[in-house]
Amino acid sequence: MNTYLTPLSRAAGIAGCSLVALSLTAPFAGTAHATGVLAGTLIENTATATYQTGSTTGSVTSNKVTVKVDELLDVAVATLSTAPATATSEPAVLIYSVTNSGNGPEAFNLAADPKISGNGFDGTIKSVVLDSNANGIYDPGVDTALTAGALATPVLGPDKSTKVFVLVDLPAGATDAQTSQVRLTATAQTGSGTPGTSFAGRGEGGGDAVVGLTTASANSLAALIASLANISLTKSASILDPFGTAKPVPGAVVTYSLAAKVTGSGSLDGLHVVDTIPDGTTYVPGSLKLDAAALTDGADGDAGVGGASGIDVTLGKIAGGTTKTVVFSVKIN
Amino acid sequence: MKLSFVVKSFAGAAAMVAMAGPALAAAQSTPSPVTLKGDVMLEKTVTENGVSKVQLVEPKVVIPGDHLLFTTRYHNDGAQAVTNFVVTNPLPSAVALASDGAQGTEVSVDGGKTWGQLGSLKVTGTEGAPRAATAADVTHVRWTIPSIAPGASGEVQYHGIVR
Repeated sequence: MNTYLTPLSRAAGIAGCSLVALSLTAPFAGTAHATGVLAGTLIENTATATYQTGSTTGSVTSNKVTVKVDELLDVAVATLSTAPATATSEPAVLIYSVTNSGNGPEAFNLAADPKISGNGFDGTIKSVVLDSNANGIYDPGVDTALTAGALATPVLGPDKSTKVFVLVDLPAGATDAQTSQVRLTATAQTGSGTPGTSFAGRGEGGGDAVVGLTTASANSLAALIASLANISLTKSASILDPFGTAKPVPGAVVTYSLAAKVTGSGSLDGLHVVDTIPDGTTYVPGSLKLDAAALTDGADGDAGVGGASGIDVTLGKIAGGTTKTVVFSVKIN
Repeated sequence: MKLSFVVKSFAGAAAMVAMAGPALAAAQSTPSPVTLKGDVMLEKTVTENGVSKVQLVEPKVVIPGDHLLFTTRYHNDGAQAVTNFVVTNPLPSAVALASDGAQGTEVSVDGGKTWGQLGSLKVTGTEGAPRAATAADVTHVRWTIPSIAPGASGEVQYHGIVR
C-alpha cells in the first residue's frame, strides 16, 4: 500500500539514502476518487529520522502505524428526464440514475412511490426496470424488469451508477394534460440512517460500514403528463328543394354534415364515422365526401363506403386538435 | 473497522535489516541511541453547548474526510546528545495534509526531493503552468530538532485528512 516504505535502516553512515528512494512519479495514483479512498485501503504511516552523535551519523525508523479505511455508505438519485414523460394508453417511462457515492461496492434497494402531494392523479407503477444494456433507453424485452419484492440495483462499484426506468400507467379518471410525479428512492442494502451510524463488520474488506452524509438513502421526483384525447360528433343538415328553396318536400335533397372533432393532446385510433339513411329518404349515389374530397361509394381503396344501408368512413388515427368532416346527401321520397 | 497496529519492535527491525543484506549487518554493532514511536489518533469534533472542540479517540472507524493526528515520539536513550535530528515522514497516499496540518515545519511536494515552507513551494498545475502548492499536494513532512539531550524526549505531529 504505502509505496514510500523502504526496509531501511538505521545503518550508520547512510543518512539521506532513504530520501533518494522517496521520489515518486505518481504518488497519489488510485486515490483521485470523487468518493474518497476506497473502503479497505490501509493507511500506513512510518517516520524515519537521521541524526548525529558526536562525529557519527545514524538513522532510525519508527514502527508502522496502520489504519484501515472503512466503507462509507452514500447514494445519489437523479431524474434524467427534463420534460414530463408522456403517458397515453401506453405507460410513461420515467428515467432515473442511481449512483453509488460511497467508497465501497454496494447494492441499493429501490422503491417507486406514485403518491406525491399535489399530484393531479396518482399513477400506477407497472414495473421497475434496470437499463441492462446501459444505453439510457428503455428497451422492452432487453432491459431487466425487476420482480416485486426484489427491487434493487446490482452491486455498484464506488462512483458507478445505473439507470432505472419506472413505467407508470394512467389510472382510470386521469384527464388530458394532468400531471403527476413519482418518487424513486434508493437505499443502501447494508443499511441507512443518521450519518455516522455504523454497521460493525459489514463494510468492504471486513471493516465497518458507516452511513455518510446522504444518510445512505436518496430520492428524486420525475414527472409524467397524461396525454389523452376525446371526440365529439356534430351532425347538421341543409335542405335544397326542387324550387331552389329549403322546404322538406319530396324531391328535396338533404345534405348531412358530420363533424368529428378530436380534442386533447393525445390522439384516437381506429375511428369510423358511421350513419344510417333516414326512413323515407334515399341515398344520393356519389354524394359521400371526406373534408370536401369525394369518395366512391364502393368498398374499395378509399376511406368511404356509401349506399342504401348507410355510410361508413374510416378516419383511422386522428391527433387532438383535428376536425374531420364527412358529408353525404339523401333525397326525400 | 478492523484496526491493526503493526508494531515492529526495535529488535525486530534490526533483524530485518540484518536479513536484508550482509552489507548492513555491521549496523547492528552500533545500536541507535534514539527510539521513534509512531501513533495515530482520530480527531473527532464534538459540539457541546454550542462550543466545538476536538477530541482524540482511537481510530476504530475511519472514513474518507476524517481527520487523523499522526504523532511520532522520540527518546534519546544514549549517553550522548543527539544533534541535527531530522524526522522525515512520507504521507500515506490515502492521506492529505490538513491545511496548517504541519505548521512551521518543512514539507515537500515532490516526493522528498526539495523542501520548504508550504507557502514557498510550487507544483505544476493541470495546464502545465506552475501554481502555488496546497496542503493536499504535500508528499512529505519533516522536522529538524537541533539537539536532544541524553534522556530527553519529545514528539512531532502532523494533521492529515483521509482522502
